[in-house]
Amino acid sequence: MEYRSQKIAYWYFAMALLLFTLQVVMGLWLAYSYSFTVPQWIVDKFSFATARAMHTNLLVLWMLLGFMGGTYYIVPEETKSEIFSMKLAWFQLVALVTTGVVALVGFIFGWTQGRPLLEIPTTLDFVVVVGALVFLFNVGMTMFLAKRWTVIQGTLLGGLLFLALLYLFGIPFYRNEVIDWYYWWWVIHLWVEGAWELVTAAIFAFVLMKLTGVDRQVVEKWLYVEIGLFLFTGIVGTGHHYYWIGAPKYWLWFGGIFSALEPLPILLMLIDTMNHVKQRHEAIKNPLTWTIAIGCAVMHMIGAGVWGFMHTLPQINYYTHGSQVTVSHGHLAFFGAYALLNIMVFYYAIPKIKGIEVYDPSRGKVAFWTMTTAMMLMGLSFGIAGVLQSYIERVLGMGYMAAQSYMRLWMEVTFFLGICFFIGVLIMVSDLLFLRPARKTA
Amino acid sequence: MTKKIAFWIFVIGTVSSAILFLGLTWDTHHQVEALSHVDKLSDKVVEGKRMFEKYNCNDCHTILGFGAYYAPDLTKVIRRIGEDGFRFRVKDPAKAFAASWRKMPNLNVSDAEMDNLIAFFTWVGNIDNGDWPPQDSKQRLSRSEERMVAGVGVSPGAAVFQTRGCMNCHSLHGTGGTFGPALDMIGRTLNKEQIEHYIRNPKAVNPKAVMPPQTTLSDKEFEEVAGFLAQLK
Repeated sequence: MEYRSQKIAYWYFAMALLLFTLQVVMGLWLAYSYSFTVPQWIVDKFSFATARAMHTNLLVLWMLLGFMGGTYYIVPEETKSEIFSMKLAWFQLVALVTTGVVALVGFIFGWTQGRPLLEIPTTLDFVVVVGALVFLFNVGMTMFLAKRWTVIQGTLLGGLLFLALLYLFGIPFYRNEVIDWYYWWWVIHLWVEGAWELVTAAIFAFVLMKLTGVDRQVVEKWLYVEIGLFLFTGIVGTGHHYYWIGAPKYWLWFGGIFSALEPLPILLMLIDTMNHVKQRHEAIKNPLTWTIAIGCAVMHMIGAGVWGFMHTLPQINYYTHGSQVTVSHGHLAFFGAYALLNIMVFYYAIPKIKGIEVYDPSRGKVAFWTMTTAMMLMGLSFGIAGVLQSYIERVLGMGYMAAQSYMRLWMEVTFFLGICFFIGVLIMVSDLLFLRPARKTA
Repeated sequence: MTKKIAFWIFVIGTVSSAILFLGLTWDTHHQVEALSHVDKLSDKVVEGKRMFEKYNCNDCHTILGFGAYYAPDLTKVIRRIGEDGFRFRVKDPAKAFAASWRKMPNLNVSDAEMDNLIAFFTWVGNIDNGDWPPQDSKQRLSRSEERMVAGVGVSPGAAVFQTRGCMNCHSLHGTGGTFGPALDMIGRTLNKEQIEHYIRNPKAVNPKAVMPPQTTLSDKEFEEVAGFLAQLK
């Protein structure tokens, strides 16, 4: 840590870790509900819908807090200056976490906008907007006053601005269900396959540059190509969600072709990472951080790249759309692209904030491999359930619950793997919050 | 490649994709009016959409394939189970899903709200969305029915039973829905003619019957499926 104000990032990370744990608890409840019968009186009071709203909103909130913390950590080093206002950074953290808690409690009492992932009621949406504006202002002012522009911080700021702008499309009430979904994907798709990818690419480039000591010019050159490809394929690639919503038929072509190209930037990122690691100038101090970085690139490729590629071909998507195949893709992609990225940042920044040069990686290693293995297997078990569902329900036409009874075993397997994942999360959270320096070896 | 070329790859890639996307968006807005039948998008339908969101239906069910996957897709729900079937399930889920291992919450939907919901789902069901979902597509399922008869040598009646939605409610050997009774031994209580008469119009036999009349089957299919069920003893 070179600047005092970088310390604020720690509190963002700590909150993110707490919310991540809660997200996984809710996930376990959802998997339980798929595997076993939940009695009517519980369902009446606390439905699957409520738990699912919590699971997904916690995901969004913890990841955004992670990105924001990461930004507050990176910007001082990139601009070579302190953050513009610490008070604003604190205000924003408190405002967002409070909004999150109010929203989660509200869901239990049915206070919801009723649209998946955008359940937060309109009133709270405005608080989120204020929080986002404060954040952008704070980061923007820091960069502006420092008058030192790098491609990394430009990409970061651009991505965050884009992210905030897109959120606005999720706020209004749309009369037409088709148009509603059309713009819902402007938020969800253009977030995860646009704005978030920009933020991720910038953060990833920064960490990679610091870890490997590879020349900034080289890192930034590839960063340009990657974000160019991300946006080229990702923007029109939104069309792969428009196949069956009542939009014109040409989306099958545009969506199909552009999303078939979407793995390219991810592949480039993977190759690029491997190259930088090979050409490193720095000695490996904390091998676990490196492992997570490579794990992130690999899982990003599998979950978002390979799974996404298969699932978005229109001919396949006709049968797999809205099945457990989607769930499989969602879990692997989010974990690979965004959860591991955040975890990499945590393991990069938290030791530095705590002043630990070389940390003890033993617990972290167990946590990383437990989580990654469990998630990969979960992706497979969700996938098997999804293929069964596609075949039994959609090809044979045997009815929803008929298909569900064949899938039940695989949902039980998922529940078990979820418990393993949860154990991994607990180990990681306790490791990060109580990080130990490595014992001196002779 | 220099950094400058990389910069231009970024600019051209982004701008070209964004222009194409905005152009298609503009065109989509125009075409959606016809594809979704905006002329039939009444205030009642919109009110139904508000109810759909108020009760957070979409965090268990999918609609147009989006949402959560814990319960059946609602895009063509009215076509699949009929208005009465819809009312019965929403009004009294504890009873409707008493035998099911997956439950639906009782949302205390009022009668007026129920009418609006039905208007909304009827409108959604008529959106021209590329014949999705496949399980509700008549065209696809009759093809899969033919395949089953040809491929596995099952009786045509069994194929009708499996592909015409009977199993959404009824089960055989523990496979299928739990909404209606299991039919493993139905042939012991009813003969072929009685079964055919019943499924054509259940209420004519039993005024309290919940099962909707099967209006989409052809005469041949009625005979085949009744013949198949009658021999289950």
